Amino acid sequence: MFSALRQVSRPATYAVRAARRPTPSVGVFRTAPFVRTLRFTEDHEAVVFDDSTMTGTVYITNYAQSSLGDVVFVELPAEGNKVTKGDQIGAVESVKAASDIYAPVSGTVTEVNAGLADQPGLLNKSPEDQGWLCKIKVENPAEIEALLTEEAYKAHCEH
Amino acid sequence: MLLARQHLWPASFHSARTYATALRPTHAIYVSTSTDPYFNLSLEDWLFRHAPHRAPLLLLYRDRPCVVFGRNQNPWKEVNLRAAREAGVPFIRRRSGGGTVYHDLGNTNFSIHLPRTSFDRHATAQVVLRAVCALGIDASVNDRNDICVGTYKMSARGRHVSGSAYKIVNNRAYHHGTMLLSTRLDLLGDLLRANKTTRQDTIHTKGVESVRSPVRNLQQFNPSIVHDEFVSAVVNAFREEYGVDEPICTVEEDEGTTGIEYIRTGMAELPSWDWAFGQTPEFTHTLQRTFQWGELTAEIHSKHGIILACALTTSGNVDPALKAQLEGLAGQLKEQKYAFVDEAALPSAVREQGPLRDMWQWLKDEMQS
Repeated sequence: MFSALRQVSRPATYAVRAARRPTPSVGVFRTAPFVRTLRFTEDHEAVVFDDSTMTGTVYITNYAQSSLGDVVFVELPAEGNKVTKGDQIGAVESVKAASDIYAPVSGTVTEVNAGLADQPGLLNKSPEDQGWLCKIKVENPAEIEALLTEEAYKAHCEH
Repeated sequence: MLLARQHLWPASFHSARTYATALRPTHAIYVSTSTDPYFNLSLEDWLFRHAPHRAPLLLLYRDRPCVVFGRNQNPWKEVNLRAAREAGVPFIRRRSGGGTVYHDLGNTNFSIHLPRTSFDRHATAQVVLRAVCALGIDASVNDRNDICVGTYKMSARGRHVSGSAYKIVNNRAYHHGTMLLSTRLDLLGDLLRANKTTRQDTIHTKGVESVRSPVRNLQQFNPSIVHDEFVSAVVNAFREEYGVDEPICTVEEDEGTTGIEYIRTGMAELPSWDWAFGQTPEFTHTLQRTFQWGELTAEIHSKHGIILACALTTSGNVDPALKAQLEGLAGQLKEQKYAFVDEAALPSAVREQGPLRDMWQWLKDEMQS
């Protein structure tokens, strides 16, 4: 409940911080002709989709990390893997609690955050930025649109 | 009356009746009469994924002897696999996190499922604690939410009678755990590599390692506590805590339950190589041995149960031609399954007397133990 409230109180921060990472300058971000879309899954993954590269960067949400507690292990998919929406592509473990990571969209894993193997705690410290999990080259952008909006995700967390 | 029915109705009716009584995930309290760990773990997962997510749910079960290790653990590091095979005890990767435990009929497992929003590890531990206290035992919960009894001079903490682990997915979470009533603690010690055997130093895993704890049975504190009594105590504590006033749903392993596809699939998945070994986090196993013909160090690097590389170091006095052969053999282990190497794919020299066979037998024994 507490963590749900925290998530609710900082929606704007999430969007901006998550979206900002690939471009160093906020100015560039504002004038760029392409669009970044933030979407969520019921399994508490967030995706920031960049339509110029057709790539979605996958995170676990702040709500997810706060209810898991201190993350001690993260298992990520292999680069180059083809994944289908809903596939289990990874695992997270906090103190004795296991959780699964599912592919939010179908596509090919182009990059994983190798830093998490040695620093799984980044998922707690910086879930919306340095704790990103992987990047997926999206096959069908309509799948992104079909995911939960921030508002719908908030409702899901409180449900 | 029953006899008359059997005469009157065709056989197909009876199978239809079985399906009509198929288990539903909408009860609050389940007690399984099965002692098959594959069934009970799959039943638990099915309830976790199918019960209405707002409703508190309790499941209690016992398993015949088996070793159960955590979702992100390394069986070769945690389990004495040779001892387990010799004792005929299966080892199973479960779906929740945490460390390795031993189950037998002297151990009762509890599983409390709640909505993720109200899930609190401490609160669920308190429910189990109240059940143990109701049995007249002065117990407490430690900082890892495990239930302990008594304090000993040699240890600042009490002895564990229970271990806990959790699973959190979507909008649901569970806290499950073991409760040692009259478990064979000697077997537990033999099978779990509890005594800090060499594997602690030789296998380095990126996954989750068990936290070793001294354990005791509840019967040591109150000899009259048996499974049924503990089950009743947990059911009462659960009903009180969550205001549930429902009868116990007794689950049997029969067509009505194993006929549920999710359960059947789960039971098939748990013993498969892909799940039991293929889900092993990346690890390195470093081995050293002196043979008559020289000294070897092998570093086997594995991920998802597949050998990524086997790096071999020899001492200075190994003949260079032999060294090349040994390194060639080590190289051929690449992309093979750790501990399940296809021997037919190796050079025939591993079957003939000599250093190559010495090395292969050594690596094989070490991987399989």
